[in-house]
Order: sequence, then C-alpha cells, then structure tokens
Amino acid sequence: MGVRSLVIETSGLVKEFGRTRALNGLDLQVPEGEVHGFLGPNGAGKSTTLRILLGLVRPSSGSVRVFGWDPWVEPVRTHREIGYVPGDVSLWPNLTGGEVIDLLTGLRGGAEERRRRELVEEFGLDPTRKARTYSRGNRQKVALIAAFARPARLYLLDEPSSGLDPLMDSAFRRRVRMVRDERATVLLSSHILTEVEALCGSVTIIRSGTAVESGSLAALRHLHRTHFRVSGPADPEALQRLGGVWDLTAADGVVEFETDPADLPRVMSAVAAAGPAGLEVSPPSLESLFLRHYRDRARQ
Amino acid sequence: MKAVLRLVLAQVRRDRWQLAVWIAGIALLGFATAAAVAAQFGDESARAAIIAVAAANPAFLFLRGIPDGTGLGSVVFFQGYAFTAVLAGLMNTFLVIRHTRGDEEAGRAELLGAGPLSRAVPLAATLILASAANTVLAACVAAGYVLAGLPGSGSVVAGLAVGAVGLFFAAVAAGTAQLLPSARAANGAAAALVGAAYLVRGIGDAMGTPSPALDAVASGWPSMLSPIGWGQRSRPFAAAGIGPVLVLAAAAAVLAAVAVLYRQRRDLGESVLPEHPGPARASAAGRTLTGLAWRLQRSTLAGWFAAAAVLGSVAGAFGPVVAREVEGNPSLTDLISRLVPGTEVGVVDVFGAALMGIAGVLAAAAGVQAVLRLRAEESEGRAELLLAGSVSPARWMGASLTVAALSTTVVCAAAGTAAAVCLALTGSPPAGAAVFLAAGLAHAPAALVFLAAAALIFAVVPRHTVQLGWGLLAAGLVLGQFGELLRLPAWLQNVSPFRYSSALPVEDLNVTAAGILLSVAAAGALAAARLLHKRDLTP
Repeated sequence: MGVRSLVIETSGLVKEFGRTRALNGLDLQVPEGEVHGFLGPNGAGKSTTLRILLGLVRPSSGSVRVFGWDPWVEPVRTHREIGYVPGDVSLWPNLTGGEVIDLLTGLRGGAEERRRRELVEEFGLDPTRKARTYSRGNRQKVALIAAFARPARLYLLDEPSSGLDPLMDSAFRRRVRMVRDERATVLLSSHILTEVEALCGSVTIIRSGTAVESGSLAALRHLHRTHFRVSGPADPEALQRLGGVWDLTAADGVVEFETDPADLPRVMSAVAAAGPAGLEVSPPSLESLFLRHYRDRARQ
Repeated sequence: MKAVLRLVLAQVRRDRWQLAVWIAGIALLGFATAAAVAAQFGDESARAAIIAVAAANPAFLFLRGIPDGTGLGSVVFFQGYAFTAVLAGLMNTFLVIRHTRGDEEAGRAELLGAGPLSRAVPLAATLILASAANTVLAACVAAGYVLAGLPGSGSVVAGLAVGAVGLFFAAVAAGTAQLLPSARAANGAAAALVGAAYLVRGIGDAMGTPSPALDAVASGWPSMLSPIGWGQRSRPFAAAGIGPVLVLAAAAAVLAAVAVLYRQRRDLGESVLPEHPGPARASAAGRTLTGLAWRLQRSTLAGWFAAAAVLGSVAGAFGPVVAREVEGNPSLTDLISRLVPGTEVGVVDVFGAALMGIAGVLAAAAGVQAVLRLRAEESEGRAELLLAGSVSPARWMGASLTVAALSTTVVCAAAGTAAAVCLALTGSPPAGAAVFLAAGLAHAPAALVFLAAAALIFAVVPRHTVQLGWGLLAAGLVLGQFGELLRLPAWLQNVSPFRYSSALPVEDLNVTAAGILLSVAAAGALAAARLLHKRDLTP
C-alpha cells in the first residue's frame, strides 16, 4: 500500500470553552479513502472535533488541515467536498423534509437526482411532511439523505445512526460501504464499538479530549476482551484462580467477568466443565473498556 | 392539587427573570409617567391646557386613549394606560404560549403528560401562573402610581385595569394555543389580537365626542369592542368603578374554560387548524439562503405588513374626518393654535405624521425580528447544517439582513401607501396624499439602524442577542414616545435613531440626516459580517 495523502490531519488540538477544556491536545489522522471510526463516550469531545474540522469552531491552539486547507480560513472551499450529519438534527419546523433536503444539497451545488430518489425510497422518508411532525429518527434521515444525495470526498458523520431502527441502520451501513467503494473518506463518530467494528477499517479512541488509542481495527484487538455472563453452578473463586479473568462479579447465582482473547480457550473449558445453566457471551461495552484502560494506566 | 401547585412552581422558576423584568418594566413605566406628569403639570391650569389640546386632537386620542378630567391621576392614566395595557397583553400572550403550545412543540409537554396528570393540568397551571402574575402586575402598577403621589384608590383601580387586560389576553393565548399547530403561529395570532385591541380602541377613541369644556372625551362605540377599551372604562381617577374589570375577568374565565375543556379532549400535538402536508421538492428559490430567510420571515412579515397597512389607513381615512370636526369648531381651532404655536399645519398632517412614526417602529420590529432569527437558527442547531454547506458566515448573515432590510422598507411603504390611498379616496388632493408614501419611507433609515445594531449584537455577544435586540428597540420606542414627557436628558434622547427621522409632512425631509442614518446602518452591517467571521459557532 502506497502512502496515501491525509484528508484530515490535526495535531495538538486544544479547545477551551470558558474554564472547561473540551479538547486537550487531540491528534487525529485520516488518510484518503479510509472509513475511520471516532470512538468515545459522551462528552469526550467528538462533536467539538467535528465542528473544528468544519471550521465552525476555532481551536484554542493546535493545527487542523482538511484536504490540506485550514477549514477556519477557507470554510467555503472545504465544505464543497464535505457531507455532514450532525449528532442532534434540528430542522426548520415549517419546511417539509423534501424542501430541507433540496436546500441543504443546493448549498453544496445541488443533489444528484438519481441518488436523491434512491435514498428517499431506501430510508422510507415521506418528504411532504413538515419537519415539525418528524420524529427524531426521521429528522436524522433527512440529514443523512441530504449528506449522501450529493457525492462528496469526505463525510463527517456524528453518531448518525443513533435514532435509526435496525432496518434503517442497515440502509445507512450500505450507504457508507457504497461511498467507501467510491474512494470517499468517512469519519464516523460513535460511542458504539460494534458499529465502528462493522464499518471502519481504523479507529481513533478519544477520551476527555485526548486520543487514547489510534490504529487499524486489527491492531486494537488487545482492547478486545470478551464479556461472559454465566448462570447456574459456577465457582467464582475457581474462575478467579484461573488467571486471565477480569472484573469478576458474582450475585444471585450469576457470574460475570471478562477475558482477554489469549485466555479464551482456557476460560471456556473451565466454564464448560462447571456445567452452566445459561451462558451469554458479548463484546465488552465501551464504558468497561475505558474503565479498564484508565485503571491500567493509573497502575503504571 | 398538589401536582398542579408543583407545576405552577416549576413554571414560576422557569419564568422568574423574564416575568420579573416584564412586571418591573411595566410598573416602572407607570411610575415614571406619573412622576413626570406630576413634575411638569403640577398645577391644574397646565393640565387643563394639555388635556384640551389632546381632547381636540384625534391623533392623541388614537394613540393614547381618552382624557378623563384634569386631575393628576386622570392625566397620568390618559398618558400611560394604552401602552401599558398593550405591554401587559404581550407579556401574557408570550407567557401562556411558552408554556403551552411551545412546550408541546419542544416535546416537554410529552414528558409532563406521561406523568399522573390530567391532560389539561399543564394548561390550568399556566393559567394559574398568569393569574398570579397579573395580580402582582396590578399591585406593582398601583404601587408605582402611589409612590409617584397619585391617590390610593384610583391607583388600585388603574392597576386592576391593567392586570385585567393582561388576564384577558392570557385566556386569548390559551385559545390560540389550542387553535394553531405551532408556537410561532399561536404567538403571532395572540399578539395580533393585542394589536387589534389597541387599534379598535384607538379608532373608537378617535371617534369620541369631547365634552364642552374640553376636559374629557366620551369614547365612540368601537372602543366597547376592545378589551383595552374596557379597561379604560374603569375610569380610575374620575369615576372609579371595577365593573369593567370584572367584565374582563369574567370574559377571561369563559375563554380559559373553553380552552381547558378543549385541551382536555384533544390529542397531544393536535390543533383545531391542522398541519397540512407540503411540497416534496423545494422551489428554485427554496434552495438558496435568501430563499430560506424569506421563507422563515414571510408569515411574520405578513403580520407586520397588515398592522402597518391598517395604521396607514387609519391615518388616511380618519385624518380628514377629524380635520372637518376640528375645523367646524372655531373655538377649538383657536385653542389649538394658541396652545401649540406650531400648529397652523393641518390636523390631518399632524395625525398622519404621528402614526407614521409608530409605523417606523413597527418596521424596525419587523426587521429586527428577521435579524434575531439568526440567533434562533444558531442556538437550535440549524445554522450548523447550513454552514456545513459551502457557505460563508457572512453570506449566511447577509441573506438574513437583506430580507430584514426588505421587510423594514416594505412595512414603511405599506403604512405610507395605505395612508396615501385612503386620503386620495376621501378626496384629498393627490399631491397631499402622495407625500404620505414618502412620510412612511422617511422612517426606514432610522429603522435600518436598529437592524444593523441587532446584527452587531449577534456577531459579538450571540448569547444575549434576543434580549439586547428587543431591548434596544424597546428603548428606542420609550425614548421616542415618552422621552419628551419624561424629560430625559437631551443626550439620551439623541441616542435614538428615530430622533433623526423627518416627520413628513409636518417637517421637511432632512436628506443629510437620512443619508447619515443609512451609512451608519450599512457600516454596522458590514462590521457585523466581519466580526461574525471571528467567532465560534455558539450553540
């Protein structure tokens, strides 16, 4: 793989709002053609970062480049190539969904008719309804359709699927894959690990305004513990002694814990040997992942 | 009952500053008016003179109401009541819509409705809050008058009259909240009814019959159709009676009961006039920023346009009638020319010029509203969507400012044109009629300065845009309408751009002043666009 140019490049990004520090030296690099996950809990600084990338907010210090330009200085040129979906979509109550889509795409040079038609159909949006009457999910659809109805070089998506039902979520994922195949770059902010896993080739994890991890998804496998929830006869103490078992809790005959990938075979046979009545295995929540990450750091 | 009380307290908590400012502002205006009248017209003969002029001049009657005796209290009530009543009406319509249709639109009503409450309880709580607020308002207005040295019982009745008008419009707003699907429409309709009440009272009062001694005027019948006219009928400082106040309170109770019953039966979010589906595609204009700004402004502009056109028609249609009345009465003309030396000019012109001045304030309000919408767009997250398109902040603001300036000009022109047309229809010479179009437009430059000021505020202190923007306009209105009366220092009065407008046809057009005002407005707008580039998007 040759060296790809960076579509997004920030270094040492700091943003202060009064006394609160929303970003604290954030470094973020996204090469061209990559679908990049931007993962972090609520309030980590994801939306602020996206607003800085759009030149809507100026960083207190640090540098930003989008397509090699400073978006604060040249918002118009930068935005021509960007499709954006904000995290919390607010629309003009007295305009219909169709009118909003035409307005927003019109400001970027107009929609591609075929795409617009397909998207309205795919997302099942009624474009004749006034935005006032839309639910949160429908408002989100309007913003998504407006972003995707005109091809862009970069898509900035701020928790775009948070209001969508599973069917619409899969339509959304199809779209992201489609623009990826067209070599567009996508920055997808999310607090849901599985969503990022399903769509992204690489990820930056942000917490309290700082990037704590960044790399290809495969390289972040070490973050990847598995969460076990075992009910029935299981001996918590025996499990604890096994090693490679973390965050073990036991209550009401239910034992919960996490294991590293390397310890998985050992732990699984031990669990099986105990003869469980029920077993749930799931990826860990982002919160537990962060909890661990920070506890580990504190120990060092 | 406990739940209702808790809800009322929550609403009080949300409104504490807003209502305090409204109530204190209205009471202070009453106090200041009373103190000023007491200082300037301390002796009976001075008051008799001013009242005689006013009684003979329908422009005064239209704007202020009817004089009712020459006592200190009577003169104060004549000077201040009508404006105070309009302010009380607006305070209440905003209050009620904010907690009813506004909450419904924002989704907060759903959250409350999910609780163990009857459907109409939030509305009932708001009406209770409004009743309490108007009681406090009545007490504060009365206290202001007493402090300024007016008789106690009259002050109380005057306060009650203002509070009762407020209460009536709280009930009206409870009604429009049921009638219309959006907070904006409900607010607009309720505020328009406040305006209509002022206007109908104005027409009735201008048609009134002066007493032989020219110390009082009996309203014409249209005043009976206006709640503000009813409040005036309580005659606090002449023949005080709370009968009209009780009539208003009863009418408010009936309206409120209808609203509550309807709310009890309707779905959340439903309205008598339903929301219709719209076009699936935007027109070519609807894809541009200017098209959007126009789309957002046009329905409110229609309201301002109608208000200005009605005002202009009143100036045009009533002026001649009034003039004939005055001219047919030699002792009256004599009196006027003696008391106000400048008034060889026709009564029609004085009347018209005064109303065009009010139209100028309406025009400024129409434009300021369009500018302030920028802030709502920003704080509610829609500006983010627009500015993520390939649009510079200056272009975004420019589109709104263009539509705002257009609104201001159109409102001025509407008032002037309506006056000119009505004058021509009532048989005035065409040249005399046509000058009124210019009279309307002569106020546009000063009004535009307010738009530029609002834009600057938005660019520099976005979080305070709405309060400061309307506050400036209110200050301009008070300086213009009350500045002389309150004997405010000259420099302060000179701050108001309206000071530099030419009151055609009584004065000649001061081209230099108009040019300077336009330059100031343009410079302000350009500076605002530049400053906007320097700040963050501020939700």
